[in-house]
Amino acid sequence: MSDASWLTEFPQMDRADLLTIRKTLDGAYREFSRSYGDAIETFFNPLLMFLVWFEKLLLASPWWAIIAIITILAYTATRSIKLSLGVIISFSLIGYFGMWDNTMRTMSIILVCTFLSIALGIPIGIMMARSNRVQSIVTPILDVMQTMPAFVYLIPVVMLLGIGKVPGVIAVIIYAIPPVIRLTNLGIRLVDPEVLEAATAYGANKSQRLWGVQMPLAMPTIMAGINQTIMMALAMVVIASMIGVKGLGQPVLKSITNQYFTLGLLNGLAIVALAIIFDRVSQAYALRSQRHLKGGHNA
Amino acid sequence: MKKIIGAAFVLAGVIGSTHAAEACGTVTIADMNWSSAELIANVDKFILQEGYGCEAELIPGDTMPTGTSMVEKGKPDVAPEFWSNSFSAALEKGVKEKRLRVAGDSLSDGGEEGFWVPEYMVKADPSLATLKGIKANVKLFKHPEDPSKSAFMTCPAGWGCQITNANLYKALKLEEAGFELLDPGSAAGLSGAIAKAYERKKPWFGYYWAPTPILGKYKMVKVDFGSGIDAEHYKACIGQADCENPKPTMYPPSPVKTVTTEEFASREPAAFAYLAKRSFKNAQMNGLLAWMEENQADGDVAMEYFLKNNEATWTPWVPSDVAAKVKAALAKL
Repeated sequence: MSDASWLTEFPQMDRADLLTIRKTLDGAYREFSRSYGDAIETFFNPLLMFLVWFEKLLLASPWWAIIAIITILAYTATRSIKLSLGVIISFSLIGYFGMWDNTMRTMSIILVCTFLSIALGIPIGIMMARSNRVQSIVTPILDVMQTMPAFVYLIPVVMLLGIGKVPGVIAVIIYAIPPVIRLTNLGIRLVDPEVLEAATAYGANKSQRLWGVQMPLAMPTIMAGINQTIMMALAMVVIASMIGVKGLGQPVLKSITNQYFTLGLLNGLAIVALAIIFDRVSQAYALRSQRHLKGGHNA
Repeated sequence: MKKIIGAAFVLAGVIGSTHAAEACGTVTIADMNWSSAELIANVDKFILQEGYGCEAELIPGDTMPTGTSMVEKGKPDVAPEFWSNSFSAALEKGVKEKRLRVAGDSLSDGGEEGFWVPEYMVKADPSLATLKGIKANVKLFKHPEDPSKSAFMTCPAGWGCQITNANLYKALKLEEAGFELLDPGSAAGLSGAIAKAYERKKPWFGYYWAPTPILGKYKMVKVDFGSGIDAEHYKACIGQADCENPKPTMYPPSPVKTVTTEEFASREPAAFAYLAKRSFKNAQMNGLLAWMEENQADGDVAMEYFLKNNEATWTPWVPSDVAAKVKAALAKL
């Protein structure tokens, strides 16, 4: 009977062996964090200093100045009175409900995360679009980044870098960067080969083709990727606050544990408001630059 | 032919389980996500299942959601390790309204809360075991984001201990000493921060509690405030968010209870009697937790280890016929 037990039960690894593997790997990670932790921390120190400085700047600036700057940015990007009014109203409400400081903290970290994601993501996307081999390597990595539960890599990162902003930024970027990479890749690959052929016929070299033909034509898709990146970065705010990133995530966590539904909803809505403003502004800006491009083309 | 035999087996199974159900019925046990609670939940599950013939089922959940669900929905039936300090008002109300019943102490010594520093720091400078010494060496505990300040790591946002921490922070004049409250965000963030400090032998000062695998694994020293325990003041003021004039006090032992729903207690008096007796000493629990940590064991494996090696502890919890049944089932594992 016991000989045939592998038919009914999965022949699984001996518990002792599994334990040895688990302990060895954990031990190796501890060893790694002990010997390289300080060096890695020093490497990220400029980023931390910048994050702290940027947050302090946003917190120290008078509220009306911040609203004015954001409104002006929104208006120049979109030329829409409606959206500018929306910015003023939502930020006033955020301040009125006592969420100003936390919103500034969240905004500072999300802005940095978005810029870093775009700065890293678009070049990776371009590389993926140019080489099928890079694409076949990067795609599964992106899959892991998007589906791996955040705490699996968060706590090792905390052991390496401590709690606070830098691990938070790393976690947010890991989760939020895939869309911009994927859609940059897709957008460039979708550019009509005949258009490229025409560009080659006019004597355009590789980089002229990339920056003059492929990127502008791929722009709408890339912008959709950036939009998704912003949304996902904001969605990670709560997870980031679980490793000590201050901001709107903290009151959300607090309200979850204490069942303060209204507090949770208010802070959640503040996150949504930030997301919508970021998104509308970036989308409208992209649309306007596209229209301009098309107008020039037709003329 | 095969089909008929299969059907007979299924039928036998159904009959068998209804028999068991008649003896006790279905019991749902809250399986909270820290090691000691996991261990106790698994011990309860095994004993109720094998000894009392219950259909025991574990339901994952944290203190707050579990407590609320027990009051509002009557599920799960049993919370085996309930730190009642963080839920005291609702627990009292639940007991008064005959929705909950407190069976007994899961940890007879109670939980131990406090402000801790790593042992290696105290070995290097024994004065760090007292608050006076900590304040004199405030520069050691650098704030990660602002080197000009010092950090005291408090308890995660929204937990009951966040209130007690904030009040003691005021009472102990930590702010004047140069400390700033640093929120780790979650239990995982807090233990990760301790692990990071410990692995690199760096200074750390903050709130934690025992028995926990973290304090089993990383030796820490509880800082003496030099104030003794003022349980009255703790309850009346330190534990309240609107405490106006907090005075220094050490943490009194926090009650750790086994809580069941009233419905379960009246339906299953025999099982309830077991839960009322089932209780661990902190020293024993620390040992078990250290074993779990050492072997990366989950609650299931640790339950087997505990029941097999500590017969003298658990047999007095149950009548002898139940103990015999549990032993027989253990032998089959």
